[in-house]
Amino acid sequence: MRILVCVKDVPAPVAGIRIDSAATWITIDKSYPFMLNRFDEFAIEEALLIKEKFPETVVEAITVGPERSALALRRTIGMGAGKGIHILVEHGGYISPFVIASMMASYAWDKGYGLILTGIMSEDHMHGQVGPVLAELLSWPCATSVVYERIQKCQLRVYAEREIEGGYRDCLDLALPAVLSIQTGINRPRYPSLSNVLRAKKAHLETIRADTLQPPDSQEHLIELTYPQKSRAGKILQGTPKEKAFQLFTILSEKAFI
Amino acid sequence: MKHRIIIIVEHFGGKLNPVTYELASFARELSTFSSLDPHLVILGDAVERYAHDIAHQTGFDVTAVEVPGLASYNAEVYINVLGELIPGLDPVYVCCAHTSQGMDFAPRLAVRLGAACITSVECLHEEGGRIRFARAIYGGKIVANVVSGTQLTVITVLPGAFPPPELENTEPGLVILSTIPSESHRSRSLETKLCRPVESVFAYARVIVSAGRGIGKKENLSLLEKLASVFPRSAVAGSRPVCDVGWLEYNRQIGLTGATVTPELYIACGVSGAVQHVAGMRDSGFVVAVNNDKHAAIFNVADVCIVEDLTTFIPLLVDECLRGSSRGDRDT
Repeated sequence: MRILVCVKDVPAPVAGIRIDSAATWITIDKSYPFMLNRFDEFAIEEALLIKEKFPETVVEAITVGPERSALALRRTIGMGAGKGIHILVEHGGYISPFVIASMMASYAWDKGYGLILTGIMSEDHMHGQVGPVLAELLSWPCATSVVYERIQKCQLRVYAEREIEGGYRDCLDLALPAVLSIQTGINRPRYPSLSNVLRAKKAHLETIRADTLQPPDSQEHLIELTYPQKSRAGKILQGTPKEKAFQLFTILSEKAFI
Repeated sequence: MKHRIIIIVEHFGGKLNPVTYELASFARELSTFSSLDPHLVILGDAVERYAHDIAHQTGFDVTAVEVPGLASYNAEVYINVLGELIPGLDPVYVCCAHTSQGMDFAPRLAVRLGAACITSVECLHEEGGRIRFARAIYGGKIVANVVSGTQLTVITVLPGAFPPPELENTEPGLVILSTIPSESHRSRSLETKLCRPVESVFAYARVIVSAGRGIGKKENLSLLEKLASVFPRSAVAGSRPVCDVGWLEYNRQIGLTGATVTPELYIACGVSGAVQHVAGMRDSGFVVAVNNDKHAAIFNVADVCIVEDLTTFIPLLVDECLRGSSRGDRDT
């Protein structure tokens, strides 16, 4: 079976992020590197676990982004994936999930994949759409928020459990090929091994220019970025840590919590 | 006839999900900008009774679609049935909840309908003749204001962002019944099973001290436990990432996919404040946030903000609290 894992590079969560002067995009503190989307690590690990169970399985990774996005593929190869496909876009700005999924579908539809895995969302834009949109574009069945999966021995169907609210799980039986968007907690993603990291550094990535895949127009448009409004007082305590501790104690006592 | 805002009713295990009333609230607000009629749609194999309830509660008309054999939610069936039904309802918007169910079918339904899909909407306003939908990005540090570029748009609405108003006496809406047979062939629902105890560990907690990824390592939980022990009726909780790495059990998770809590005091330690977590604690009485990232989104939803390393600050706070209590004991 061939598995494709969709991955993305995102700014480090602790990186300073500010809105640019045009209020239409962001500037990111360059002292923090981009990283592999945390949610994708679970998808990659799940693909590698399937490969351990079915050793003839091939695991490949795909990303859509500018030059720097290759790091997501190298990290994926470092964990153990076989090959990376980079759909290269010119700019580093916003790309909608519909456009991302469309380009991935344009690439993947005729490559004979039996399973496509994605993280449930990306840490940066948090749409949660690429997996399900990709499935619908390919006309494949799909399950999101998957916390357990088991490929049947025949490799024609997959049993999947979706985590839903209230501590319940929805249990499904899907025909392959299918798309699964993977929820966190399904596994413990492995650290890259030294040999895989070295392999990843030297790996030749298949690079495809995005315009050759004829991406569609975006269906929604980012008009403006703003900072969130405070929904509460947001009183910032000042002074040394000890002084702040005393101030907070005073506040909590006055409110009779202590 | 006016065009419509279609609301997809969510129900589970024989009960209507109250988030449906939040969708109605969202639709009401959207209709003030757009002069559209909200209209509810519910699918299932015994939905007529729900339909009358919601038509009564909201005053909106309801289309109740009997789908024989659809005992519980199934994405394939929902997309096939709604994909067939919705175009005939003069839709401009289709609204779903940003729940596990909504996130599962809304993006796919949007593709089926040729519509844009905007997820996790928290707010909306009108500017320059267009409706702008606000959604959080970068862990909640930035808000993206988005407009749709298609005639029909599918929206998922963040739970908690559009609280339903007090019930008013409204004229009940009409209920329209139809039947659309549909079966899932390629994704069959097998069963829904309970995997975690229903009883909340937070049921009796007046004070919750919660851990985010910023606590750094499992050992630092002991600092939070010490802090919690200063307060009677307290509990330690965490965001999902803390549970994912096994530092806390998932029954202690607070957030969209975990528990929703409303303690009198919520102390968030090393919690970034991403919307998924905030959705589970936004209605807490008083919120204190401790984080060494001064731009952390949690500070927008806190009453008191402490920009400090929690491994330094929490022991100092615990000291103050213990000294304060013993001062209090001496005085009485």
